[in-house]
Amino acid sequence: MILNSKNAIITGCVQGIGKATLEEFANNGANIWACALEYNAEFETYCKKLAEKNNIWIKPIYFNLLNQDEIKAGLKQISNDKLPIDILVNIAGITKDAITHMVTMDQMKFIFEINFFSQIYLTQFVTKLMIRQGYGSVVNTSSISAIDGNYGQLSYSSSKAALIGATKTLSKELASKGIRVNAIAPGVISTEMNRIVPDSIIQENIKKMKIKRLGKVDEVAKTILFLASDLSNYITGQIIRIDGGIK
Amino acid sequence: MYMNKRLIEGKNAIITGCARGIGKSIVEVLASNGANIWACARTKSTDFENYLQDLSKKHNVTIKAIYFDLSNKEEMKNAVKQIIADKNNIDILVNNAGITYNSLFQMSTQNKIDEVMNVNFTAPFLFTQYIVKLMLKRNMGSIINISSSAALDGNAGRAVYGASKAALLCATKALAAELGDQGIRANVIAPGITETDMLESMTEDVIRETVMNTDLKRSGKPTDIANAVLYLASDLSSYVTGQVLRVDGGM
Repeated sequence: MILNSKNAIITGCVQGIGKATLEEFANNGANIWACALEYNAEFETYCKKLAEKNNIWIKPIYFNLLNQDEIKAGLKQISNDKLPIDILVNIAGITKDAITHMVTMDQMKFIFEINFFSQIYLTQFVTKLMIRQGYGSVVNTSSISAIDGNYGQLSYSSSKAALIGATKTLSKELASKGIRVNAIAPGVISTEMNRIVPDSIIQENIKKMKIKRLGKVDEVAKTILFLASDLSNYITGQIIRIDGGIK
Repeated sequence: MYMNKRLIEGKNAIITGCARGIGKSIVEVLASNGANIWACARTKSTDFENYLQDLSKKHNVTIKAIYFDLSNKEEMKNAVKQIIADKNNIDILVNNAGITYNSLFQMSTQNKIDEVMNVNFTAPFLFTQYIVKLMLKRNMGSIINISSSAALDGNAGRAVYGASKAALLCATKALAAELGDQGIRANVIAPGITETDMLESMTEDVIRETVMNTDLKRSGKPTDIANAVLYLASDLSSYVTGQVLRVDGGM
């Protein structure tokens, strides 16, 4: 029970890496504010069952990352609980692939709004509370395409690279307040997001990996668990690649 | 509750440099998480043996002391033979043993260069060759090499030590590249300033300055490093290979 009785905020909990992280955290004893885009009855039931099974609480919180007022209202709900916030995991994100000259500025801004600006806004709010309590661990979800670049991913890779810069700066600014900030850089993971990628490209990617298969969402969640927990107490400002050794 | 959900329950691990410092802490953390251990050290000591015995009782795991001098090929071979004779699977190898050496570039002697390269690079390289051969029988294993932030940063006075740890780092990446499709992961931990005997080789001023240069404003504890080893040794990192993890408080 690595996260026994810690309280965590996780965004993007309905599917993919977010859902796997929600499960992993719940199984390891954390209480969770599970953030998602909009009210979803199925999700509510799912959270309730997961909480009962693990003898913890999970509160669904809904907001659209494109809407600052909604983010603020969601975060107010969390701060009104007046509980310590040990962990913030930013997972919610979006991709829209297009080669460079086909990317419109509106698309670019849209991607940045969700993958970068909204995450900063949210993190500012939450780390302010963390500073007050004097501790906390923030985990951001970047991507290997932020580090390596990737064909067709101008907006996605740039937005995720911006997140790395923010992670490193935040880690420096917040370390003295007892807050650690790290990021993960997943490689090609079997998620909804990758379902639209043609099989030929997936096969090409696998050829470049040392571990010859796609990553699983729970494998990403387990590294998030490590970075969120006290196991990584002396680790800050780091980017961990979970990529099967892709080159 | 924690006890029945240990991260590496029933896995078997070889750890070098177990008598003190980071190695001792790795033995503790891996044992408390359910691993059986071949705990390697240079010299036989009853204190060490008693310590291992207490630890194995406390955590209900098997811990065996194995003695060899890293710079002695015959002793290493014998150690490997002892491990093979146990006829157990090997899931985890942690190359932790090493020596430190502070000296300005121009003041570094060939004898010292040879010694440091031999203990910090050649010896773990050869030892890993033996162990990988055994791991390949099951196409399974996780190798963790303890390098240093000095290998990445190139600090003054650390030319030889840093180079030896950088050599180990590069070899680990190559190993990961060669064996990833055969079920073997290899990763590196790069500790920053860590509270071990090795610090005795540094003056207090240098230590204080280095600590103040970390974002967390403290030195690392051996358990900080050992917990990162646990992450890389366990299935928590099953899709992570060829990586270098800095455990340095932000330097």
